[in-house]
Amino acid sequence: MLRERFGRLTAWLGARSPWLLLVVGAGAMLVLAGGTAAGLKWTNTEAFCTACHEMRDNVYAEFKDTPHDRNASGVRAICSDCHVPREPIDMLIRKVRATGELYGKLIGIIDTPEKFEEHRYAMAKKVWARMKKTDSRECRHCHTESAMDPELQSERAQTRHERAKRENLTCIDCHFGIAHKEPEGPGPQEIDFAGH
Amino acid sequence: MKKSLPLIAFAIAAATLSAPAAALDAKAAEALVRKSKCLTCHAVDKKKDGPPFRETAAKYKDKPEAEEKLTKHVTVVSKVKVDGKEEDHETLKTDDAAAVKNVVQWILSL
Repeated sequence: MLRERFGRLTAWLGARSPWLLLVVGAGAMLVLAGGTAAGLKWTNTEAFCTACHEMRDNVYAEFKDTPHDRNASGVRAICSDCHVPREPIDMLIRKVRATGELYGKLIGIIDTPEKFEEHRYAMAKKVWARMKKTDSRECRHCHTESAMDPELQSERAQTRHERAKRENLTCIDCHFGIAHKEPEGPGPQEIDFAGH
Repeated sequence: MKKSLPLIAFAIAAATLSAPAAALDAKAAEALVRKSKCLTCHAVDKKKDGPPFRETAAKYKDKPEAEEKLTKHVTVVSKVKVDGKEEDHETLKTDDAAAVKNVVQWILSL
């Protein structure tokens, strides 16, 4: 029924003028594309992520007042800055994978503080694995290594980063548990993430 | 029974009154440790630039000088060696002696 209606509409438009059909078609595609982009962007907002109490009461509460939330310069990161890839394809893949979280929400897999603690390490490990695989890609959205002036860093930071260079470490190897509570268990340097 | 009643009453009072003093506030300890940036170099269980707190607890288990030594370590700046280089060991960001004691006891309890 709908196909017939659509067919008749496009035929009528085309009959009036092929250009009209083109313009209307382009307009419709723009609305669709724009809407999709806006929708995707909405799923990257702080408000969207923290709409679920599982996030709001646990990791978001922990994140509050950490340097990535509140600092001297006011430059901050939100959930998607660290947890969602920016490249369109990578982002789409991540979004599709994230629909699995809807199922988790449905069955309440981490819907109490106790359940959350039970799964904390597994969730952290997943994030660390992703970050190690991408050489801390999400960190590098904001932190450009070549732009880090060692002379402006503390002596401690300079020493540590020299070591990181020597041992070929990536950001997450040391900078973990900084936005959320560090779970107990082996950290990124101690786990063998399938050879990465 | 009548003679030992005051003794029993005293024992109960002593026990209940000393309980809050002995109570460890793990959450407060963790918060102060986090605020003081201790976790940059220490974790509860993993080795970072400094030893894990569990290792410290094991090292000082049943040692009488444990609390005193640790209290000094977290309140007075000292030198530690990391990666062959000497660095300042930072202190807890608090002036509250009770808060310091809480942290030290929390570490020793791990």
